[in-house]
Order: sequence, then C-alpha cells, then structure tokens
Amino acid sequence: MAHLHIPDGVLPLWLWGPAWAVAVLALVAVWRVQRDRPPRRVAYDGALGAVMLAAMAMEVPLGPVEYHLTLAGPIGVLLGPAGAFQAAFIASAVLALIGHGGLTLIGMNALLLGTAAALASPVYRVLARRRTAPVALAGATAAGHTASGLLWLLLVLAGARLRAADVGLDATAARLAVMASVAVPLVVLGVAAEATVALGMGHFIARVRPDLMPGAAPARRT
Amino acid sequence: MSLIERLDSLANAGTTPWHRASAIAKLGLATGLVLCVVLSRSLPLVVALHVLAWALVLSCRMPWRIVLAAATYPLFVSGLFVVATWGGPARAQLLLVLRPVTASLTVLWLIGTTPYPDLFAPVSRVLPRYLADGLFLTYRALFELLGRAERLWRALRMRGGSTGPPAQRLAVAGEGLATLVLFGFERSQRVYAAMLLRGHSGRVCGCRHWAEVGREDLWVLAAAILAGAAVARWGGRA
Repeated sequence: MAHLHIPDGVLPLWLWGPAWAVAVLALVAVWRVQRDRPPRRVAYDGALGAVMLAAMAMEVPLGPVEYHLTLAGPIGVLLGPAGAFQAAFIASAVLALIGHGGLTLIGMNALLLGTAAALASPVYRVLARRRTAPVALAGATAAGHTASGLLWLLLVLAGARLRAADVGLDATAARLAVMASVAVPLVVLGVAAEATVALGMGHFIARVRPDLMPGAAPARRT
Repeated sequence: MSLIERLDSLANAGTTPWHRASAIAKLGLATGLVLCVVLSRSLPLVVALHVLAWALVLSCRMPWRIVLAAATYPLFVSGLFVVATWGGPARAQLLLVLRPVTASLTVLWLIGTTPYPDLFAPVSRVLPRYLADGLFLTYRALFELLGRAERLWRALRMRGGSTGPPAQRLAVAGEGLATLVLFGFERSQRVYAAMLLRGHSGRVCGCRHWAEVGREDLWVLAAAILAGAAVARWGGRA
C-alpha cells in the first residue's frame, strides 16, 4: 500500500509541508549514520533502489486487480534502516517524476515507503533469532507494510476529513467509512502480497547467497 | 518498454523547442506551476493552469497513451477524496480533480522533454552528496534492471508462473525477484570497479549543460508569463 502514492493537490499544505520537513530531517540523520560508509556501498544502495523501482514496474495479477510490488521490506532488511530510507526517498522522487505520486508529496511518500523499509530491518533481526531467514524476512515485511499501510490510511482519512470539513459537509463519519471500506481491503491485500513475495525471495537468497542476509557470516572468497 | 524507458527515450530523441530549452528553466517553470496549482484555492486560476499544462504536454508531441495515463493515474487517489466531499460544492470536487491532473501533466512535460542527467544535475547541487550520487546510480541501474525484470516476467509467464493459487504465484515471483537482487548486487560490484578505474573522486558528477540558456528558453519564458498573468488575474479569487 506504500506504493499507492498520493498525488499533488489532494492533501493540505500543513500535512505535506511538515512531512517534507520530517523527511529532510530523516535524510540528515541518515547522512550522519552513513557518513563513514565505504564508497562501494553507494553503488550497492543505488542498485537495490533500482531493484525496488523495477519491481514496482511489474504487475502481479491478483484476481480482479493488478498489484504493483514495492519490495520495501526485503530491501529494508538487505540495506538496513538508513540505506533503505535513502532508497525509499530516491524511489519516491523518481516515481514522482513519472507521475506516480506528487512532487510536493515526495516527503510524505518517502516517509510511507521508508516506514515499511526501515521498520523491516529491526523486526527481521528480532525474528531471525527464532525463525529461519525466509520466515523472518516475510514477518518483517508484513510488520513494515502493516505500519506503513496504517499510516497511509490514517493520512488519507485525516486529509479527507479535513477536506470535507473545509466545505462544511456533515456526516463525515459515514463518508470516511465508505472510503475505509475501499482502502482497508487494499491495505490487507498489499501486506499479504508483499509478505508472500518476501518469503519466496528469502528462500532463494538463503539458498544461493546467504551471506547477503544481515547477521550472516560473510561469504568465503575462493 | 516500460513507461520510464519510454519517457527517457522521448526526452532524448525529441526535437521540439521544449526539448532544446535549458533544464533549469523548465525545472523552474514546472516547480512554479505545481506549487501554484497545489496552493491555490481559486478555481479559475487552477482551470487556467490546467489548460496551460495541457498545452505544454500536447505541444511536446507526447504519445497520447502516455498523456492519458498521466491524466488518469492521479484520479485513483483523488477519487477517494471526491467521495469524501460528495454532496458538497462542485467547486471543491473540481479542485480535487484538476489539481492532481494539472500537476501530473506538468511533470510529464518536464520529464518527457528533459534527459535525466540534465534534470538531476541542478537538483544534485542542492542535495547532500550521498543522496545525489544515489539518485544518479539508481537511475543508471534502473534501465538495465527493468529490461531484466521484463525478461524475467515473460519467462515466468511462459513457464506457468502466472497460473496456480495466488500464494504460489507470489512466492514464485519472489524467487524470480531475488535473482534481480543478486544481479543488482553483482552489478554494483562492477560499477564500483568501473568508478575506481575512471578516477572516482567521491562524487558522481552530472552533465554541465543544464544551465545553457538559448533561444528556445523564450518559449519557457512565454509560458511562465502566461502563468504569471493568470496568477495576477485570478490569484486572489477563491
């Protein structure tokens, strides 16, 4: 659901303005955390950011709807919270340039996508102590996307309530219930789809390159 | 070919005056238009800027399918807001529809007429180094990965990856996408080696002609004057 980007002009300034400010502050924090990272990581972060965007371009048919994946959870686990937030910001910026989301909403969309990605990393570390890597990856992805989906829902409902109040409409609760009845199933579908894909990814990476998973021993060079 | 590849190809191969105008001028106009549309409460102003956005997009010879996609995609989310304000003044609902579509068309005009190195170069001047480098490297990697993802998807469908229960389909898709992650990892190693060979100084540099102002920028100036006139005429009216 983090991929259902909010376009320009539907949310009020006081919602997207502070979101931009928070996103910039988060980027400053990311810069402080990653100040000493090796230059090799820049290329890796860029490549995985591009994987995120390439996955978003693919349509997975799920019954009557075509779902676009984000891979925010697995990318968050592979890059860590800081690298993942940076990748989410860049992905949101590139998507805004092709009309998926808005320029003024890059901050908010980055926060939504970044929440899923950044939260998945610590959850994975907790789950990986008790579960296999693929299951931990799926669980972390589900946790990240649930948080991100709820945040999305909260923002959209808050924005809609404000817009309705702006024009002096009453019975906003009924209107919001109609909106929620459309949006909630999409959030649930998104979480389930992302977690299942993450499970498949986890199985493959754990078999082929287990050293890429966080906490794994580095691969021995031959 | 995906939308992003198509837009990149159009931006590089286009020959209209918009394509030859400087990136900085177009970036300034697009940012100004989007901000005016988003912040304005005046319906006549938003309608005027909406017409201007259509004029920009139609005059840069953009394929109609892409234009249609850009005009309809934002309606999915803004439609939810229209539902929330249903029964209210038509003006509010019109604004909720016109604002996102105008902004989307404006951005389409910008990205469809400006190659990405020209577009990212001025932006990277104001971004922190790691973010600007990430932007360039992500965009560069994107096209190779998109091609690979497309081939992967086709292979999955041909081998029955799109049949069976959804859970199985998604798990198979996940395994396929993991090959993209591994490819991305290996590609990043090669890119880093190439960066070192080319004398990487710790910063990826964009091109330098993004600010070369020419005669074609008069078109951008004319569009900016039209937008400014609309703001002066209708800006204060709610």
